[in-house]
Amino acid sequence: MDILSAFITSIQSVWLDSGFASFTLGNFIMILVGLLLLYMAIGKEFEPLLLTPIAFGCIMANFPCTGFLEEPGVMQVIHYGIQYEIFPPLIFLGVGAMTDFGPLIANPNTLFLGAAAQFGVFISLAGAMALGFTAQEASAIGIIGGADGPTAIYMASKMAPNLLGAIAVAAYSYMSLVPLIQPPIMKLMTSKEERAVKMEQLRNVTKFERLVFPVSSAIIISLLLPPVAALISMLMLGNLFRESGVTDRLSDTSQNALCNIVTIFLATGTGMTMSAEHFLTVQTIEIILLGLLAFAGGTAAGVLLGKVMCRLSGGKINPLIGSAGVSAVPMAARVSQMVGQKANPSNFLLMHAMGPNVAGVIGTAVAAGTMMAMLAK
Amino acid sequence: METQNPIVIMLINMTIVFAVLFVLSLYIRLIHKIDPTAKAAAAPKAAPKAAPAPKAAPAPVVEKGIADETVAAIAAALATMGVGFSRVKAIRVADRPGWGGAARTEGLTSLKMR
Repeated sequence: MDILSAFITSIQSVWLDSGFASFTLGNFIMILVGLLLLYMAIGKEFEPLLLTPIAFGCIMANFPCTGFLEEPGVMQVIHYGIQYEIFPPLIFLGVGAMTDFGPLIANPNTLFLGAAAQFGVFISLAGAMALGFTAQEASAIGIIGGADGPTAIYMASKMAPNLLGAIAVAAYSYMSLVPLIQPPIMKLMTSKEERAVKMEQLRNVTKFERLVFPVSSAIIISLLLPPVAALISMLMLGNLFRESGVTDRLSDTSQNALCNIVTIFLATGTGMTMSAEHFLTVQTIEIILLGLLAFAGGTAAGVLLGKVMCRLSGGKINPLIGSAGVSAVPMAARVSQMVGQKANPSNFLLMHAMGPNVAGVIGTAVAAGTMMAMLAK
Repeated sequence: METQNPIVIMLINMTIVFAVLFVLSLYIRLIHKIDPTAKAAAAPKAAPKAAPAPKAAPAPVVEKGIADETVAAIAAALATMGVGFSRVKAIRVADRPGWGGAARTEGLTSLKMR
């Protein structure tokens, strides 16, 4: 009998220590959400490089009794990388190394399109405050409209860490849905003649301009907005690696190996913020709806300013490039190209749209910086 | 920050974003103006010197006893492999019977044509 009793006690102990004993309905629902995200990433190929680790992180976050965030280990290090804003600037280093600022330097007016698209950020901020979110939380929700994942995570970590999971998931989900969200708005706001406008070829940009731009932009923006100095400086450092012509190895590492490694950590860590107790709330649904409002508002505002610039330039600017002002590099620029080419098959807007597209990255970082400067407690 | 009015926050932030990006656009124009390399890049480059006429490649040395048809067949085979006939220095009868010849034949037949 003693042996049988000891055996049963041991089995009970194993069961009580297992995750099954603490497994909740919320965990089950969130694992289903993770599986759905995995299907979207692998089956539908929606941003698979980001959505796959986010989805898997979401599944891992809902394993009970793991102590991932309480005990020292790789999971805690990944969490710290997000909590202390280490990963977003490193991602920006890679983004900078991948970005060609040539179209922006050749046509600096496109910076205004990048600024106009930030309107969605502030519409969403106002909407969030109307729904009862604090100004800090609303600013973090609004930045979803910037369509810039690292900036959204950076902002959420600083302003509303409790909403990080929902904000990151909304930001990356909408970024992957840019080809579905933007075209109807672009078509609704423009005539076929406007969409068919062909733009002149951009001027050549000298190496001097390509070298001076990242260095001086980092200095100017960092002095103006110190809260985003880390993001902007790393973006411009990465771009300097690319343009200098003497740091090819650093440029290659930044845009490939380092960026991929940090993406794995950042995306997995983001998914790991999606535990049932933090994610299954009414606030999450509100954030997802506000994110859509921000995205649609930003696209509409960019196209609207594009129309104004089209009129002012005597029909030399295609308003469709305005929608690329929401960052989502280079997806938003590709959407401008795609919609423009449908209206006029000989239209090539991609390079022109890259100007507002990279301006949107800077614009979103500036918007984040101004909100942090104004609203941070 | 005192104000909690979302419209005021929105207006202030949009103004700052536009102002910062406007300053940046002015700065980009300034860089273009002061660019010391712009004139050099804009100036038409001098026409490159005419390349000297290539010397006629020496005709390959063809050993006695090899028929013209064989030379033509070798030239055609080399051409299909992407080798210009002008690079061929000599065509000689292989004088390695036995293992050497077998090895050469094996080497040639094992080559994969792509």
